[in-house]
Amino acid sequence: MAELTANQLGAAAHDDNGHLSEEEKNENLKLGVWLYLASEIVIFSIMIVGYIILRINEPAVVEQAHEQLGVGLVTANTFVLLASSFFMVMGLRAMQGGNRAGMLRWIGLTAVGGTVFLIGQYIEYSELAHLGIILGYTDSQWSTLGMRFYAPTFFHGAHVFVGVIWALEVLRRGAKGRYDHNPIGIEMFGLYWHFVDVVWIMLFTLIYLV
Amino acid sequence: MAEATHHEDGQHSNTVRLLGFEITVEGGIYTVVFGGLAILTVIEVLSAEYLKEAIHNAPEAAATLQAIKAILLLGIAIIKSCLVIWFYMHLRDEKRVLAVVLLLPLLIASLSIMYLLAIPPIGYGV
Repeated sequence: MAELTANQLGAAAHDDNGHLSEEEKNENLKLGVWLYLASEIVIFSIMIVGYIILRINEPAVVEQAHEQLGVGLVTANTFVLLASSFFMVMGLRAMQGGNRAGMLRWIGLTAVGGTVFLIGQYIEYSELAHLGIILGYTDSQWSTLGMRFYAPTFFHGAHVFVGVIWALEVLRRGAKGRYDHNPIGIEMFGLYWHFVDVVWIMLFTLIYLV
Repeated sequence: MAEATHHEDGQHSNTVRLLGFEITVEGGIYTVVFGGLAILTVIEVLSAEYLKEAIHNAPEAAATLQAIKAILLLGIAIIKSCLVIWFYMHLRDEKRVLAVVLLLPLLIASLSIMYLLAIPPIGYGV
């Protein structure tokens, strides 16, 4: 009985040569991406708690920074990233429907959204540097804010940069028809990109609004 | 609250049932979720600006208003995050184990954060 069950399980998961089926491979790949994202949660949490401690202990510094910066640029950037997440899921939807041209268009827009976000972040950092909010320790009132602000936002920006590169690779492979029969590569990129979006949703609220 | 049906050809439907109404829009549930995210973001920013002004005008109630602001804005951010994870990352269609993979580190991270916020001299109360 036990042998029969094992055989049945084997037949469901493997072909005659003992290889995993495409569906099983896809499930394993997705689980791998989710586990990777789970580890990212811990890394971002450490950076976020560093900021929260400053926010609680030195509220005046953060409030002054909010006054100086405003929320216009960062809100626009947030909309860009939310839109890019929408473009991403529409790209996967198009490929699942067999529409390769549509997928290329949507993923292209995703890459553009990520690039615009990075340009916005560069402009913001330039304004901050002009105010004297820098990474290193200075005698200014902002000395405690620099690292606690830049660490989570720059680390997130680095993820967006990697995402843009990944999107371009998806476009290259997609144009060759790599995903015509199995769009798992797009789905894996999508999980990463949406996670980057979720992290920004939390950072935007915690760092710029609360 | 919101659900999408599927076409016969397996593509996602453009018709979404939302709060008892049927909405037909290009992109279906994904477009509706994006609309929800955009509206919540506008509410979030406007609430933050309004409460910042209220705190400025009533310093005697600043602690209470700041607590209300934090709870309200973090609540909205969590709803937005759940929308992305549930619909865009397709957690609603995935195996339960992926929800555990996501929730377990969140739980561990939350406990770690609470610990770090509690211990002096780096934490709250210094």
